[in-house]
Amino acid sequence: MRYALTRLGGMVLVLLIVAFCTFVVFYLVPSDPALLACGKPCTPENLALAREFMGFDEPWWQQFLTFLGGIFTGRTFGTGATAIHCAAPCFGYSFRQNTDVLELIGDRLPVTFSLAIGAAVLWVVAGVAIGVLAALRKDTWFDRVALAGSVIGVSAPVYLVGLLGILVLGFQLDVVPVGNYTAFADDPVRWAWGLVLPWCVLAFAHGAHYVKLTRSQMLETMSEDFIRTARAKGVPERTVVGKHALRNVLLPVVTLTGIEFGSLLGGAVITERVFSLPGLGGLLIEAVHNRDLPTLLGCTLFSGFLVVVANAVVDLSYGVLDPRARLT
Amino acid sequence: MSSKKLLAVVLVGALGAAACGANDQKPSGDAAAKPDKGGTLRVLSESRTLNFDPAKSQSLAITTLGLVHRRLTGWQNAVGQPAKVVPDLGDTGKTTDGGRTWTFVLQDGLKFSDGTPITSADVKWGVERSFAPAFGGGLGYHKDLLGGADYKGPFEGKELDSIETPDPKTITFKLTRPYGDWPWIASTPAFAPVPKGKGAEPDYQEHAIASGPYQIQTYTKGVEVKLSRNPNWDGSKDQVRAGLPDEVVFQLGQDASVVSQRLAADSGDDQFAFGASFASPAQLAQLQANASAKSRVVTSKSGAVAYVALNTQKAPLNDVKVRQAFQYAVNRSAYQIASAGTAALAGDAATTLITQGIEGREQFDLYPSKPEGDPDKAKALLAEAGFPNGLENLSLVLNKSNNQTEKAEAIQAALARANIKVTLRTLEADAFETETNLSENPTYDLTLSSWQPDFPSANANIQPLFATSEIGKGGYNISRYSNPEVDKLIEEAQSTVDPAEAGKKWAAIDKRILQDSPVVPLIYTRNSFIHGSKVGNFFIADFPAYPNYLQVGISK
Repeated sequence: MRYALTRLGGMVLVLLIVAFCTFVVFYLVPSDPALLACGKPCTPENLALAREFMGFDEPWWQQFLTFLGGIFTGRTFGTGATAIHCAAPCFGYSFRQNTDVLELIGDRLPVTFSLAIGAAVLWVVAGVAIGVLAALRKDTWFDRVALAGSVIGVSAPVYLVGLLGILVLGFQLDVVPVGNYTAFADDPVRWAWGLVLPWCVLAFAHGAHYVKLTRSQMLETMSEDFIRTARAKGVPERTVVGKHALRNVLLPVVTLTGIEFGSLLGGAVITERVFSLPGLGGLLIEAVHNRDLPTLLGCTLFSGFLVVVANAVVDLSYGVLDPRARLT
Repeated sequence: MSSKKLLAVVLVGALGAAACGANDQKPSGDAAAKPDKGGTLRVLSESRTLNFDPAKSQSLAITTLGLVHRRLTGWQNAVGQPAKVVPDLGDTGKTTDGGRTWTFVLQDGLKFSDGTPITSADVKWGVERSFAPAFGGGLGYHKDLLGGADYKGPFEGKELDSIETPDPKTITFKLTRPYGDWPWIASTPAFAPVPKGKGAEPDYQEHAIASGPYQIQTYTKGVEVKLSRNPNWDGSKDQVRAGLPDEVVFQLGQDASVVSQRLAADSGDDQFAFGASFASPAQLAQLQANASAKSRVVTSKSGAVAYVALNTQKAPLNDVKVRQAFQYAVNRSAYQIASAGTAALAGDAATTLITQGIEGREQFDLYPSKPEGDPDKAKALLAEAGFPNGLENLSLVLNKSNNQTEKAEAIQAALARANIKVTLRTLEADAFETETNLSENPTYDLTLSSWQPDFPSANANIQPLFATSEIGKGGYNISRYSNPEVDKLIEEAQSTVDPAEAGKKWAAIDKRILQDSPVVPLIYTRNSFIHGSKVGNFFIADFPAYPNYLQVGISK
C-alpha cells in the first residue's frame, strides 16, 4: 500500500513538473498566443480584448495556477451568452479548434491507439521471433540477413520508409490504400486495411531494436548454467527455448515494449503525418505551429501521463514474469 | 473529337495563349475535363481545421468559405482581367456623401439553408457578431471604420449604431471617414449573414447556417468536412458561384508530398480531387517528368509580391541613399531560381508594390537594371552615402516556417557582391512575428516577406505595409516606414470613391513610396496547384493567385 501511494505521488509530481516546464518554456519564447484571435488587421485594442478573453492577460504563474485549478473546478472563458465553459476536469480549451482539449485528445486517441496497438503487436511478435531464430541460428545467412535488416530499420528515417512504402505499395503496385483513415466502429475491415502500411512501417522501424535485443539476450541466456542443466536433464529443446530461455529474454523486451508503446500513444508524429492519420502526434504538431498553448500543454501532459503509466505497468509486470521481483 | 469539344479546345487554347504569353502557364483546366453538374468534388487540404464561422475567417471571397456563405458583395475574377466587385446578396452599394455613408439593397427572395428569409438584419447581425471577443481572428478591416472600438458584439444586448436597416432589404453603413473601397470591404467574410439572434456558440463553424450553394452535412474534426447541396440556394440569383458539384468533400490533414503523388497517380476518387496547397518546387520538378500530371498543374500568372523589407528606423538603413543601393544590389534572377527552380515557375521580377491583377496598377521601374542586378551602381550609391567600403554586420531575420533559407542565401550572396555583408537569423514563426510585427524596438536590419492583398484593391496592397499606423502592435509595416506625406496621400486615396481616380492616386503613391525605397520588390510569386483528370474549370485568374473554388466542377 505504501509502495503504491509513493509510486502514485511520484507520478503526480512528474506530471506537475512536466506541466510547469511546458508553461515556462512557452513563456520564455517571445510569442503572443492571443495573436491567433486578434484578426487582421490586428489593432492593439483587438489584441487586448483577445488576451483578456483567452486569459492570457494574467501573469504566467497565475495562468499556471488557474490551469491547475481548472482540472478540479472547470473554467469559464468570457461572460454572457458567448461564454465558453470547460467542465472539470478541464485540461484547457483550444481557441484554435474551439474545443475542450480533453475532448480533442479523446477524438484523436483512437487513431493513435489503432496505429500503436497494431504496430506494437507486429513489432513484438516479428521482432522477438526473428531475434530468437537469429540467435539459435547464429552466423547463418538468416542471422546475417536479420541483423542487416535490423540495422536498416534502426537507421532509416520513418519518413523515408513511409514515403517509399506509399510510392511502391500504394501507387506503383496499388495494393494498399493511401491517405484515408476509417474508424474501427464504421468498418473494421477498412480500418485494418487502411492501417496495414503504417503498421508495417512503424513495426519495421521499432522491430529492429527487438531483433537486436532478443538476439543478444537469447545468446547470453542460452549460455547460462541453467540451460545447460535443463538440456542435461533431457528437457526437449523446444521447452528449453520456449519456457526457460524465452522467459528470461522477455523481461527487457517487456520493459522496452511498455515504454515505447506508452510513448507511441502520445503520438507517432512523423508516421501520422506521412499517412495523413488524424492522431495525437498531428495534434501536437499543429499546436506547436499554431501557438495553441492549451492544446500543447494538454498533449504534453497526456503523453507524460502515458509514459508514467507505462513505466508503472512495466514495473508491476516484472512481478508476474519474474518471481524474484515480487514485493513481499 | 466532337465539334463542341474541338471548339472548347480552341477557345481554352486561345484563352491560355492570350493570358500567359511566353511563360507557357496554363490558366485553366483542359477541355477534356469540361465540368458537368453533379458528382462529388474532393479537396485535399494540409490543414486539420476548416473555419466556416464568417466572423473568425480570413478566407478569400473565392475559396472555401464562399461555398457555404454568400456575402454582401462578391468578386468576379477572370483570366486576363483585373478583379471586379460584383453584387452578391446585395448590390455593390451606393454613396451620396462622398464615401462616408454606403447603402446596399439585397435581392428579393433570398433564403438561408433552413428556409428562413435572409434580411438586412441578418447581415447586420453577422457584422456585429464579428466584434465579439469570442469570435476574433477574422478579417476586420471594417471594425475601425464602423467606429466599434468599445463595441463587444450584439450578445450583450447592444447594437452598432453605425449600421442601419430601415427595411428587410436595405442596409446602410455610416463610416467614421469617407472610404471608397467599402464595397470591397463588404465582400470580406464578416459580411456573410448570420440569422439574427443565432451564432453564440463557439462551435458555430461546424454547423453554420448556409446562404451559399452548399451546407455543412458533416464536420468530423481534423478528418473531413462534407458539404451537400443547400436546397434553398437559387443559382439564378448568384452570379459568382456555379454550384456545379452535388457534394464537396474536404479531406483534412493530408501530407502535401503524398497529395502531390496521389494527384499525379490520378486513380479512383483522386481523379475528382485537387490539392488546396501550393505544389512545392521539389514536387513540381517531379511532376515535370509525368506528362499526364504535368498537364494538370495550373500555375498562376502572378501572385503575392515578395520583397526584402529594410528597417528604415535603424542606421545605416535610415539613409535613403543606402536603401536605394539595395534596389541595385539584389539579384532577382538568383532569387527566382532559389524560389522555384525556374523563373517561369517562380514569377516575374517585381518593380512595383501593387500586384498584378489589381485595377489601376501601373507598371514602372524606378531602379532599372538587369535581372541579375547592378552591384557597381549599388557600390557607387553606398559610397555617395558615406560607405565606400560597403556595409558590415547587417542582420536578415527569417521566419523558419516559411522555408526561406535558400531564398535568403540568394539575397545574402547577391548583396555580398556590393560589399553588403549580411548575417541570417532564423526564428520560429511566433518569435519572428513578435520581432517584426509586435516589437517596439526590433533588432533586425532586413527581413524577407511577401504580401497578397486581402481584397483586390491597391489600398489593400499599400496601406497595411506602409502606413505609419501599421508599425508594430500587430501591424504589417515591417520596414517601419513612416512618412507623413505618404500617410496623407493614403488617406486621400482611401477616401476617393471613383475607382479610376483612386487607381491613379494609388499608382502615384506606389511610386512615391519606392522613391524612399523602404522595401525591395523581388518577384510576383506564382502559385502552382495540381488537380485530378476529372476536375474542370480549374483556373487561376490574374488575382488572386488561387483557384476559384466557386467555379470548379467535375466531369463524368
